[in-house]
Amino acid sequence: MRVVRLRAAVTAALLSWTIVALSGQGRGGAPPPAAPPTPRAAALFDITGYWVSLVTEDWRYRQFTPAKGDYVSVPLSADGRKIADMWDPAKDEAAGDQCKAYGAAGLMRMPTRLHITWQDDNTLKLETDAGTQIRTFTFGKAPTGAGTLQGASVATWDQPRAIFASPIPNRGGPQVRGGALKVVTTSMKPGYLRKNGIPYSANAVMTEYFDRLDVPGGDSLLVVTTEIVDPEYLTTPYWTSPHFKPVDASGWHPTPCSAR
Amino acid sequence: MKSLRALLCVGIAAAGASLLAQGQPSPAPAAADAPSGPAIDISGYWTPTMNEDGMERGAGSELNDYGGFALNESGRLWALSYDPSRVTLRHHQCDAYVTPYQMRATGNFRAWEERDPHTQRLVAIHWWAQVTEGHRMIWMDGRPHPPAWAPHTFRGFSTGRYVGNALVVTTTHLKQGWLRRNGTPESDQATVTEFFVRHGDHLTNTTVVTDPVFLTEPMVRSNDYYRTPIDHGTWLYACDDGEQIVGRAPDVVPHYFFGKQPYVREYSERHKLPLAASMSGAPSMYPGFADTLKNLTEAAQTALLQPAPGKLNETSKAVDPEPRDGEIHVLPIRDNVYMLAGDGGNIVVQTGDQGAFLVDTGTGKLSDKVIAAIDKLSERPIQFIANTSFLPDRTGGNAKLGAAGMDPSLPGSFFVNSAPRAATGLFADPLRHATIIAHNNVTNRLQDAKIPEDAVPGDTYLEERRRKAHNGDSIELFYEPNAITDGDSIVVFRRADVIATGDIFTTTQYPVIDPKNGGGVEGEIKALNDILNRTNYEHEGEGGTYVVPGHGFLSDEHEVVEYRDMVVIVRDRVKAMINAGATLAQVKAARLTADYDTRYGSNTGPWTTEKFVEAVHNSLKPAPKTK
Repeated sequence: MRVVRLRAAVTAALLSWTIVALSGQGRGGAPPPAAPPTPRAAALFDITGYWVSLVTEDWRYRQFTPAKGDYVSVPLSADGRKIADMWDPAKDEAAGDQCKAYGAAGLMRMPTRLHITWQDDNTLKLETDAGTQIRTFTFGKAPTGAGTLQGASVATWDQPRAIFASPIPNRGGPQVRGGALKVVTTSMKPGYLRKNGIPYSANAVMTEYFDRLDVPGGDSLLVVTTEIVDPEYLTTPYWTSPHFKPVDASGWHPTPCSAR
Repeated sequence: MKSLRALLCVGIAAAGASLLAQGQPSPAPAAADAPSGPAIDISGYWTPTMNEDGMERGAGSELNDYGGFALNESGRLWALSYDPSRVTLRHHQCDAYVTPYQMRATGNFRAWEERDPHTQRLVAIHWWAQVTEGHRMIWMDGRPHPPAWAPHTFRGFSTGRYVGNALVVTTTHLKQGWLRRNGTPESDQATVTEFFVRHGDHLTNTTVVTDPVFLTEPMVRSNDYYRTPIDHGTWLYACDDGEQIVGRAPDVVPHYFFGKQPYVREYSERHKLPLAASMSGAPSMYPGFADTLKNLTEAAQTALLQPAPGKLNETSKAVDPEPRDGEIHVLPIRDNVYMLAGDGGNIVVQTGDQGAFLVDTGTGKLSDKVIAAIDKLSERPIQFIANTSFLPDRTGGNAKLGAAGMDPSLPGSFFVNSAPRAATGLFADPLRHATIIAHNNVTNRLQDAKIPEDAVPGDTYLEERRRKAHNGDSIELFYEPNAITDGDSIVVFRRADVIATGDIFTTTQYPVIDPKNGGGVEGEIKALNDILNRTNYEHEGEGGTYVVPGHGFLSDEHEVVEYRDMVVIVRDRVKAMINAGATLAQVKAARLTADYDTRYGSNTGPWTTEKFVEAVHNSLKPAPKTK
């Protein structure tokens, strides 16, 4: 008898909770739901601060400017190779294009420091001391920057999602935990993936996942898993994952773009 | 009926919550350990993208390309000394990849879960690598890592947990291996933290290697894989070793002398880089590095090819693998054979229907606890003790452990009746003492040292081997002349496939070669090769024959071959200097062990790096005889 009463009570509670949940979507006369938190308030982790790149991969291509035609491990198309083989840094300098390797698709692989701040509640700002570039990641509204080196970047907080999330935390069923900052960048002015003129086109789309990983012992890493799809110059998606570690501001050393 | 209703209600509630979740951002979860269940599923077939370091991971890396690696002096010199033809040596041909390199290597990967069939709790995640058939187990059930004296493997021992949206894996107990396929070393002291993060059908594995032996800063790399919906179908990588260079002497290990590597400028000249660029260690990882090279002199750059002169020898950064808690720790090896650690030197115990058979007795400080541990393993008393040398860490417990045993094979035998006071008198009372077996020189040395006779082996042999069928196994003692001393033996348990090496091989220090007591570096190398001639690996260069070192963690042939390589390389360097007319002082000052000192070196205690180098020198160039 006692069990039946308990079941009835639980059922009633769940039903009423469900009704409240459904009514929260705007049906009926219930009060409107509270405004969702701003992207800044809803941040899955703190991405702000100074970060320095750890150039441990593609080291020679990133710390030094490789020779013309050295495009190992980039899935360049025939058209892409044609452009890369015509690379002429003097010509870029003369045209005022010495920042072509500092566009969004090349910038994050530069040896650089990052300074990431919230420009406002809906916009993250990422500055680099290498080439003194600024990227902005816009949440929930139209991005700016179309046609520039840094392009237009739309940001979302990205969590692994299950079709059904359990209503009862930690009681069976998949739970949503953690997540990444997802940034999709389009409308970039054509630039270079590497300083030796390996090209990406204006049609390139770059998707980045910023993950903050806490290493035992107190250190952190910012890993930026990056996919670049370029129907003009790449035959397959180009995947890289540069990583950064936190530093203080003392090493911030702005340097101008260099085409060489 | 009521249950059905309740379930229905829960279902409606869940649906409501799900709908709700589509309309509003989920609350930000704390980046804390997940209490239960996986945050991500990494099961499936994965293909590595090779868009980073494609050359290194595919065709192979260039020699002397260590850029972006925070190598310390030992690591840099180890890499510069490495001759790729070392993999032609029989015992290296099938070396598997260590985890940090395996995750980066080419080839396909497959992951699957192992769950308890009754509770469906996640027990482990299996990760299979096609190349070298690398099978990793990532334990998810909260089990602890093994003790420091447990064996190391190429994949190491991995445990995982979910943190945020990442599977975080910690790996210890790795073997010595590569961080890069051009000889950039990773030591057996490395620990690895990995983060598996999945974004749709893309998996990023970020690897953080901490190696106190060869790195000054953790090595961070990230490996990307994309999910493949179908089985790759290619999962095997068979390897059997064979003769690759016929007629090569067994004590040849390909390597380059410090500063003499003929290809040292190849990489820098091909890519128009300063020589020092790829050898500068941690600074090479950071922005601004290229600028720091501009004013480097040629002398400053070539200095990187040699040990820094005038510097004190580095010391071992390895974890002490021996328990020092005053307790005896039992590690089952195979069948009825065990390793006992804790009394200042490893002891091997074999048990069975007959009495226990011991190899060595430790320092004797914890003999009572050793006896207690053996009592738990064996229903019968200690019957035989084999000593691998006369050194005190091998024989220190002879008297007590011997007195705790008995040799029932002797009472009433012809030998006892005809020679009641044999060589040491031990045969006289076999019901109150185990029989101690060793090479005859052990007995001689102990008698010279006036050790009480109940601690002195009474059952000795003079040449080649002593054999014994005991507890269902064939046990053989092989004489290793002039290795550490003039009385060394290795003990082979043929059926159990276990070899006890005494101090000929340790994982903790340079070999304690004692020329004054008949030891020598050539004998030491021959002894190590004799061990290797009796080992077999189970799979891809590891497992199979277990090797119990005099000190340190339970090993297999891989640890022995790395140790053999080290002794050969140091011998070659010392010999080259002697041949060039160098004095002992000059040999010592040359820091010829600089690439191994962070693993084995010591500047204090009974066995220092300097003493080792002196022993090598003196055994190669005996002091001139006085008239």
